[in-house]
Amino acid sequence: MVNIRVKFRRGEEVKFISHLDLMKVFERAIRRARLPIAYSQGFNPHPGMVFGLPLSVGVTSEAEYGDFEITDDSLSMNEFIERLNEQLPQGLEVLAAKQRQTKQNIMATISASEYVVMIGTGHECTEKSLKAGIGKYLSQKEIIVKKKTKSGVKDTDIRNMIFDLDFGLQPCGTFNMIKLTMLVSAGSKANLKPELLVESLFEMLGAGYEIDRIHRSKLYVKVQEELLDPMDGKVL
Amino acid sequence: MGIKLSDGLLKSVEKPSRYTGNEWNSIIKDPKTINIRFAFCFPDTYEIGMSHLGMKILYHLLNERQDCYCERVFAPWTDMESKMRENNVPLYSLESKDPIKDFDFVGFTLQYEMSFSNIVNMLDLAGVPILAEERNAGAPFVCAGGPCAYNPEPLADIIDFFMMGEGEEIINEVMDVYGGWKGTGKPREAFLEEIAKIEGIYVPSFYEFTYNEDGTIKEFLPLKPHYPTRIRKRIIKDMDKAYFPDKIVVPYTDIVHDRIMLEIFRGCTRGCRFCQAGFIYRPVREKSPERLLELARKLEESTGYEEISLTSLSTSDYTGLEPLTTGLLEDMEERKVNLSLPSLRIDSFSLDLMEKAQKVRKSGLTFAPEAGTQRLRDVINKGVTEEDLLRAVSLAFNGGWNGVKLYFMLGLPSETLEDVEGIADLAYKVVDVYRNVPKEKKGKGLNVTVSTATFVPKAFTPFQWEPQDSIGNVHEKQMHLKDKIRSRQITYNYHENKLSFMEAVFARGDRRVCKVLVRAWQMGCKFDGWGEHYKYDVWMKAFEECGVDPYFYVTRRRQYDEILPWDHVDVGVSKQYLINESKKALEGKITPNCRVDCGGCGAAALNNGVCG
Repeated sequence: MVNIRVKFRRGEEVKFISHLDLMKVFERAIRRARLPIAYSQGFNPHPGMVFGLPLSVGVTSEAEYGDFEITDDSLSMNEFIERLNEQLPQGLEVLAAKQRQTKQNIMATISASEYVVMIGTGHECTEKSLKAGIGKYLSQKEIIVKKKTKSGVKDTDIRNMIFDLDFGLQPCGTFNMIKLTMLVSAGSKANLKPELLVESLFEMLGAGYEIDRIHRSKLYVKVQEELLDPMDGKVL
Repeated sequence: MGIKLSDGLLKSVEKPSRYTGNEWNSIIKDPKTINIRFAFCFPDTYEIGMSHLGMKILYHLLNERQDCYCERVFAPWTDMESKMRENNVPLYSLESKDPIKDFDFVGFTLQYEMSFSNIVNMLDLAGVPILAEERNAGAPFVCAGGPCAYNPEPLADIIDFFMMGEGEEIINEVMDVYGGWKGTGKPREAFLEEIAKIEGIYVPSFYEFTYNEDGTIKEFLPLKPHYPTRIRKRIIKDMDKAYFPDKIVVPYTDIVHDRIMLEIFRGCTRGCRFCQAGFIYRPVREKSPERLLELARKLEESTGYEEISLTSLSTSDYTGLEPLTTGLLEDMEERKVNLSLPSLRIDSFSLDLMEKAQKVRKSGLTFAPEAGTQRLRDVINKGVTEEDLLRAVSLAFNGGWNGVKLYFMLGLPSETLEDVEGIADLAYKVVDVYRNVPKEKKGKGLNVTVSTATFVPKAFTPFQWEPQDSIGNVHEKQMHLKDKIRSRQITYNYHENKLSFMEAVFARGDRRVCKVLVRAWQMGCKFDGWGEHYKYDVWMKAFEECGVDPYFYVTRRRQYDEILPWDHVDVGVSKQYLINESKKALEGKITPNCRVDCGGCGAAALNNGVCG
């Protein structure tokens, strides 16, 4: 039995399929590729596959991760990638695959995510005013937002979930495009959706806005207080 | 050059992946290299349309042609439709996202009458004129096929031409003629004139009806003497040689039948008198087990599906069932593919087979006695006796099953309260059988579900002259049955029969109901097959406004010598045979299975005189 961690890309073409459906896509691609995936025992055998943090519908990503269990030790990582990619629909592509020794699966260890969010606003803004605004936003002791949970809408402080926030400004006619790059909490313990950060930021700025697109650029796991790439040797 | 849908729009609707295409095995072609563009439209949601086998076959068949690009179109759900209308997005195809109003053909498959209002809605959303007479040069040809096309008249004002019968050959013949017509600058009529010569093509605008004072049809008249007065359906003679795709589109989102469908045969030998499929798909033609095993292997390889289902009207009647299932189980074991076997008759062979094939819990088995007494089962020619049923459930209970679903119809011709009570009696007898099975053998906790549907008389059946039972009567029967079933082990399901009433109008309607359809759509009717969207009162108002009496179509008994709106369509089974069957029905006389004794229905003539 070999455990493999896979990094893959999820492009425009497949950004509207749900997390559950994505797992089906991989399962069927693996079957078509005739890859020796391990199946669970029982009435309804499940393929040995675990995916990282679910991506919201409509979000693209170049940093998705999945753990696969295969039964053939002799299969090379290159062959695994090649055969799987041949069977994946447009927009899904395996970028890297490495064997892993760690017992912890990807789902359990994710702790932070970097997103790039493109936002359009009719509000007048300059580099300087934005810099000041974001500085003020981050200097707040607490940032209370209304967060949807299973039990209803709850006031939540998200300040501690924001690790880094950077911006770029692209004037675009009467419109300004703002590119926000944010590093925020992600995973089962604490998870911040980029939309919530954007909403609270623009509320403070007093500006109207529209999110054009959200892209996940990185995902991190935490090992002894250090944020690391899930494919990092120290992690695997 | 396709339509670009904004992220915001797609994020705001339910299950957006229904609208974005790009599924595995969907066909991508460069439209610039294509002469004929065909929009294959299913007038219901993606989940339902994508489960339809005929669409899969014809989609890939048309796309085998270099000159043709066939793309899929489904009815957008109401949330998506309002967003599209708000943003002036016309109905587009899933592959290229091009507006279908620019296509050469817009083709609808007619699977059930209550999808007709969606056809009108989809044409409107596409920006294609709804009425055939309003379409000018440059507009697509709107065509239709499928089981409901056998009574084409309720859609006669809307559809340019119908294709009768199985589509594999006729659709290619139409495409060939179109390739020759396109670009010649000749009028639309010239193309229709040309295809009207093809067997199975019906161009409704080439004919007119006159009516008697009592509203019945006086005459069906071709406008020119050379138009055929009988349109004969097409069939595929050799099922092994018939085209069948070796890859099918694998959807992202869950659909109703998300599996490989292996069509084992067409037609049915049973001759149940209420069943339209049993008559219109005659004669029986099977695929060989060898061909099916080959197809199953190829489809599994190209799709990665984890389940294969056998498709036909009656799985147990397939003569090669044993070699086929043995072969499939052998082939698919290693691949961990499940075999699902719908519409099996329950006997020891099939129970054993199910045990081997479906590694699932032994929960429910389904039986369809259809009627509660032997008298009524003989009337409808349902060749099942009470002993058959009780023997089968006994076998099932002894094998560990503990759930039984029993399907019946209410409102069958000649039905009395005694027949209705017979349904309850039968359910109680099933409970008794369970009681008598030794404890160690049976599963825990019996659950018998009785479901009744309202009978809708259909064209080309021996009951095509029969009135439908009134809404009030059927309701009374439902209440009576509910009253008779007082066991906690029996659940009774029934539903409002106002939908069956409307289905009955369109199942046997003529050309005059078409304007009601358009009017009802204008008043907001669509997705009628979806309980939450069906508006009976609005429909009734549309009838009133159009001056059309729905009861004329639903509750009136027709005479044998009356000209029926579908008499010009030839499905192979002769009208005289249906009259004989109708008379035998009311005398309670059964007709044996075609394999036991050929009844001479006439369908054999379609297949060089051979059935099966």
